[in-house]
Amino acid sequence: MIDKTLSLSDAVRYVRDGHTIALGGMTIYRRPVAFVQALITTENPPSKLTLFSFTAGLASDILVGAGMVERIRTCYFGLESFGLAPMFTNAASDGKIEIIEESEASIANGLRAKMAGVGFMPSRAWQGTDMFSVRPDVRIIEDPYNGRDLTAFPAIGCDVAVIHVLKADKFGNCQLGGNPTIDHELTLVADTVIITAEEVVDSLETSIDFSGLPVSAVVHLPQGAWPTSCYPTYPIDGDEILRYIDACNKGEFDAYIRRLSQ
Amino acid sequence: MYTKDEIIATCISHQIPNGQLVAHGIATPLVAAGYLLARLTHAPDLAFISAIGQSVCRDWAPLGVATIEKLWISQGLMSINFVDAVCSFIPRFHPIEFFRPGQVDATGNFNNVFIGGSYERPRLRLPGVGGIPDITPFGENIFLYVPRHGRHTFVEKLDFTSGIGHDPTTRPGKGPTYLVSDLAQFDFAPESGRMRLISIHPGESLGRLQAKTGFVFEYQEPVAETDSPTPEELRLLREVIDPMGIRMLETLSGRRRRQKLRDILREESAFFAGFEDS
Repeated sequence: MIDKTLSLSDAVRYVRDGHTIALGGMTIYRRPVAFVQALITTENPPSKLTLFSFTAGLASDILVGAGMVERIRTCYFGLESFGLAPMFTNAASDGKIEIIEESEASIANGLRAKMAGVGFMPSRAWQGTDMFSVRPDVRIIEDPYNGRDLTAFPAIGCDVAVIHVLKADKFGNCQLGGNPTIDHELTLVADTVIITAEEVVDSLETSIDFSGLPVSAVVHLPQGAWPTSCYPTYPIDGDEILRYIDACNKGEFDAYIRRLSQ
Repeated sequence: MYTKDEIIATCISHQIPNGQLVAHGIATPLVAAGYLLARLTHAPDLAFISAIGQSVCRDWAPLGVATIEKLWISQGLMSINFVDAVCSFIPRFHPIEFFRPGQVDATGNFNNVFIGGSYERPRLRLPGVGGIPDITPFGENIFLYVPRHGRHTFVEKLDFTSGIGHDPTTRPGKGPTYLVSDLAQFDFAPESGRMRLISIHPGESLGRLQAKTGFVFEYQEPVAETDSPTPEELRLLREVIDPMGIRMLETLSGRRRRQKLRDILREESAFFAGFEDS
């Protein structure tokens, strides 16, 4: 079997200036936080990234805080019960970051279109809302069979997807431990798929959540989602998330990241 | 005595008929508390679909913050990834869902994108729309809740429409059919489509409600009073469904909310010390 295991410092080199980078997991669950930390503290970190996250949370907020994100594609950016994502909320309120306003349906249909190799997927979503005013690229088309209006959601892909998993084998077959989010789909639309895993084994024979076929790199990274959760191995470290929010609110983002990386 | 979160959760519970599918979005513990209260009282045959874990559940567990996944994943009958949930499952089954608007207008249009200023330079950027513009154009089981009733939320004119309101004449969906806040509960008048008072919660007055609402709502006198939660409902909420009081995070703000969150995390780490083993 092909062995795709790689060191963290080599894996971050896949992410280049101007790339669209997708982060697996959701909000504060199973996020690739350690990978993001390594990415922002590497020599010559990439810039002008487009961040793609179904529901963006802690890992995304850290990337935004590091000033590496030019554009965000998401339908939710927050820290759930912990409140607003501080660095995103400030950047967005100051108009310093471009937001590609998405919804659950526009992302889900966009992924389906990309996977199917077509330019769009039709849907009933968004009609009557103001979403079109901030997404002029999204068109309304006529259903060829009954003449009704349909929203044509454009295909969505990405250059690199980074997904933290519970267990992977060396080929990249993965088990997630629940909360599948859109991670399987991300592996099918990304040009490069990087897996960080709590545990790496020689070979997973059954019950995988997605195949290693499109995976480029497997990085063994225990505690790689901390302080977000990796169910069922560890829950959310809520105290640490509060420490992060406090640091950001005091203008001490950089010091927080330095401390975290030591 | 009871608290604001408890009367809201009780009102939510009373809206849930038995045998339905209810959807639970992220960061809405009051809604989870209301659903579970229905499940443990008049609606034993509820099925849940949750954004966290994306599972369909019949069984349940007490609410958590740091360990919330355990509730939905370990109790799941089946797992549905987000794409299938959004493209197939939700459009097919029209689950009951309660949304919390950032702003809501008199006909139940609502906004979860930004408040004040312009889209490019907002006074406050909100987390975003989630599935709101997807479900409200055709959903038939849309409900709203507002944990802190005030003129900043109940506005004459929205800054952005991300959720479609109750306007049966021109729109495909029915829009929201019900709204509960910490002061009152409303439905929508069939003719005008405007918000119409059902009842005011005990201890609140019509004058105060009008002063805290940024538009004119319909009402009939004498104004009815909301039923208080029963002792059994309060016992279930406090002792069985949500012993740590996570539902309160939605009605508190600022320093008090922060302290509550810290208290919950401390209590939860003691309570779920066996998270890894179980």
